[in-house]
Amino acid sequence: MQSLSNIGVIALNTFRESVRDKILYNIFFLAIGLAFFSILLGEWSVFDRAHVIKSTTLSIMSISGLLISVFVGISLVQKEIQGRTVLTLLSKPISRAAFIVGKYLGLLAVVAVHLSLLTLVYYGILWLTNSNPTVDLLQAIYLVFCEMAIVVAVALLFSSFSTPVLSALFTLGVYIAGHLSNQLLEQVRFVRRMGEVEGMQSVIMEKTAIFVHAIFPGLYRFNISGYVVHQVALPPFYLLWNTLYALGYIGVFLAVASWWFSRRDFL
Amino acid sequence: MIQIESLQKTYRSGFLMIPKVALKGVDLHVPQGMIYGFIGPNGAGKSTTIKVLTGLLRKDSGKVLVNGFSPSDVKSRQSLGYSPEQPYFYDYLTGRELLTFYGRLVGLWGAELNSRISWALSMVNADKDWIDRRLRTYSKGMMQRVGLAQAILGKPELLILDEPMTGLDPMGRRDLREAILSLNKEGVTIFYSSHLLSDVESISHRVAMIVDGRVVREGTVDEITASCGVEYHVHTLESIPLADLPEGVLSAGHPQEWICKDGMARDRFLSFCLKSGISIERMDHQRPSLEDVLTQEIVRAES
Repeated sequence: MQSLSNIGVIALNTFRESVRDKILYNIFFLAIGLAFFSILLGEWSVFDRAHVIKSTTLSIMSISGLLISVFVGISLVQKEIQGRTVLTLLSKPISRAAFIVGKYLGLLAVVAVHLSLLTLVYYGILWLTNSNPTVDLLQAIYLVFCEMAIVVAVALLFSSFSTPVLSALFTLGVYIAGHLSNQLLEQVRFVRRMGEVEGMQSVIMEKTAIFVHAIFPGLYRFNISGYVVHQVALPPFYLLWNTLYALGYIGVFLAVASWWFSRRDFL
Repeated sequence: MIQIESLQKTYRSGFLMIPKVALKGVDLHVPQGMIYGFIGPNGAGKSTTIKVLTGLLRKDSGKVLVNGFSPSDVKSRQSLGYSPEQPYFYDYLTGRELLTFYGRLVGLWGAELNSRISWALSMVNADKDWIDRRLRTYSKGMMQRVGLAQAILGKPELLILDEPMTGLDPMGRRDLREAILSLNKEGVTIFYSSHLLSDVESISHRVAMIVDGRVVREGTVDEITASCGVEYHVHTLESIPLADLPEGVLSAGHPQEWICKDGMARDRFLSFCLKSGISIERMDHQRPSLEDVLTQEIVRAES
């Protein structure tokens, strides 16, 4: 019980610390500016204006969430270590796992608030431009949040043992791999079917693509803007399965981060 | 409260992970209710030992128990307060907000938390206006006081302080000494490191001296200093020819002041004075200070 309470206390402090970070406001206001810019894009585009505004704004939410997760997330643990505040904090009766989970939940709360505020702006823009602001869009925003929940866990994992710059690069690498792993596998299988690559080389290529696909979180699953913008029904239990999928990866990443962090010495 | 046996710790640094042995088999036992001073030169292993005790560093080998538990066990910190050397805190918080944060981490909430904060602040003489200012405006002395206040918030049975006197002015040092004595009267065991040996001599029940990663002396201040010998300075009313002085007695550079190198020499000199009808004005015994003993040990370790 005390452990849960400690996680809450650390999460709240992390939230308070993060909302004082200027980079957060830069990303937030950039996202709002770009969201309004999507109105212009809708006007200029040859495609349906409402579709352009919806898909652009969803992309902005995803990318701004990624920027917050990476640039705020990677420095969370390092700030505590470099600022030596970790010495006093870890001398309290809290486990290192509770510290990691508290940090994670604090940053996740920041991402949630960011996405909530952007959602209000998003619906305001759709309402102003008379672009059919349906409730279905919330499904896409929810999955953006799930995706960011994974990315924050990845950022925290790398920052538990690496420098901020390397952590940022690794996290962006996982994000890109997570979005492209499915396409990579399909492309490799297509090339193999077409007979353009044969023998051992094709086997190695396919095994590598399968490995990448299996090891990295399939972040492409959380991008359903095509479905909701064109109002195509999602497969049954899509949100539930992907929520469980995200929770599985988050659990693994946080467990590894906690294990690694518990082995660290603090001088 | 603290039990350390054959504790070893090696740091590895740089690209090649070159090892540097910090602790070479430390043995230490701190009984309940003690004010226990831990002294030694820079780099001797004081902070390393303290960080192993608080679970911030992992030991390589040896046995370490804090409050009956291994430092890797959260239970070892349930009744432990710790203030690091030069404490750093979240500078965007006020002193009171910081104490509220740490208080919650030790399970205090609501009215109990507020009253405990007031108690801790009064203990370290920090119940002043500045406690509601942001920490980034604090002086080193204010930070030390807040550091001690956060350490005692949970009313720990064991308090570990790493160089708590650093950065404090004479008034601050006096306040801290009084706080340590007062906490000890309430039953708190205090284990602290310090460079200020006069403070250590004045308040410690026992002292351990660490040099080059090993505890080289342990005991009360009297035991440690007495083990290095006691000199007796005798002042006589008449002068004595040097050739007549008994064995083990030297001139102190004044015709009526004499140094007896040990108790035997003192007894011989007193007998000599009685037989010769020389009156003694006064006699003082002078023990080496902790600083003298520490200097001896450092020289011995270097040689």
